[in-house]
Amino acid sequence: MNVVYTIKTLLGLAPNCKKVTSFLADYVEGTLPRKVSQQFDEHLGMCKCCGPYFDQYRTTIDLIKEGREVKLPAELVEHTMTFLRNNANLSR
Amino acid sequence: MTETARSKIEGPSLEPDLDALLAGDEKAFERLVTQESPRLFRIVFRILGDEEESQNIIQETFLQAFQRIKTFRRESKFTTWLYAIGINLARGSLRKSKRMTSLSDSDFDRLQPSFSKGMFVETVASWDPLRIAEQTNRHEILHRAIDRLPEDYKTIVILRDIEEHSTEEVAKMLEISGGAVRVRLHRARVALREMLNPHFQYQRQSAE
Repeated sequence: MNVVYTIKTLLGLAPNCKKVTSFLADYVEGTLPRKVSQQFDEHLGMCKCCGPYFDQYRTTIDLIKEGREVKLPAELVEHTMTFLRNNANLSR
Repeated sequence: MTETARSKIEGPSLEPDLDALLAGDEKAFERLVTQESPRLFRIVFRILGDEEESQNIIQETFLQAFQRIKTFRRESKFTTWLYAIGINLARGSLRKSKRMTSLSDSDFDRLQPSFSKGMFVETVASWDPLRIAEQTNRHEILHRAIDRLPEDYKTIVILRDIEEHSTEEVAKMLEISGGAVRVRLHRARVALREMLNPHFQYQRQSAE
């Protein structure tokens, strides 16, 4: 991070790392106001920590979303309906 | 097939015929069970990690829905109300079973980044894309990490990032604010990033 930008963050004229990381979820969802999003982009370009941190945050979400298969038990619906017929007063 | 692809095939939950359900119509319940039990099972199983207990919870969820249907106030989608019943039962079962091996609050807090004067205290080392790609058990590593999250954070990751319910739906299912959902989801992702960090960083070459 260059000296001028560091001074700007210390003076509160540009967001610091703490502020930027608190924006991450909204940035990923694209819900940040345009001006804040531009400040975020400027910070990412300047900061040696926040750039990789943001990439890793996004990779983590991608890995979560790739997901792991959940195998459904055979006859899940049939067993549930049998249970309901035996325990609830369903009308045919 | 990814979860996203699957939900696109399954399509959004259709709102059931409430009048028929209120009358206790068996066909209407059968349609509801057929439509919702796969999605509900995946959520419950991801919370519990136990197939037999998840099946019991699914049965109990539909029974409670049948018994309490007159209390449904139509303030949310019916399926949101149904899922809330299932999630509550699953969380109760998890607490009773003592299967929880989650991080303590203080250990979870330690996974959040530290700052000094608003700047990162430690440098952030890049991840190695090749190492991530070659790590064939990366999903196992990730899901072990998800299982270690405190239960309320884990449930939000399952509902928002895996099952892709909206923030508003999750807030209604868990009876918390949308803001609380957003904050907890962010903190959970940050903690997961930290737990994945040692597995995915560039490896140092050992000195000859």
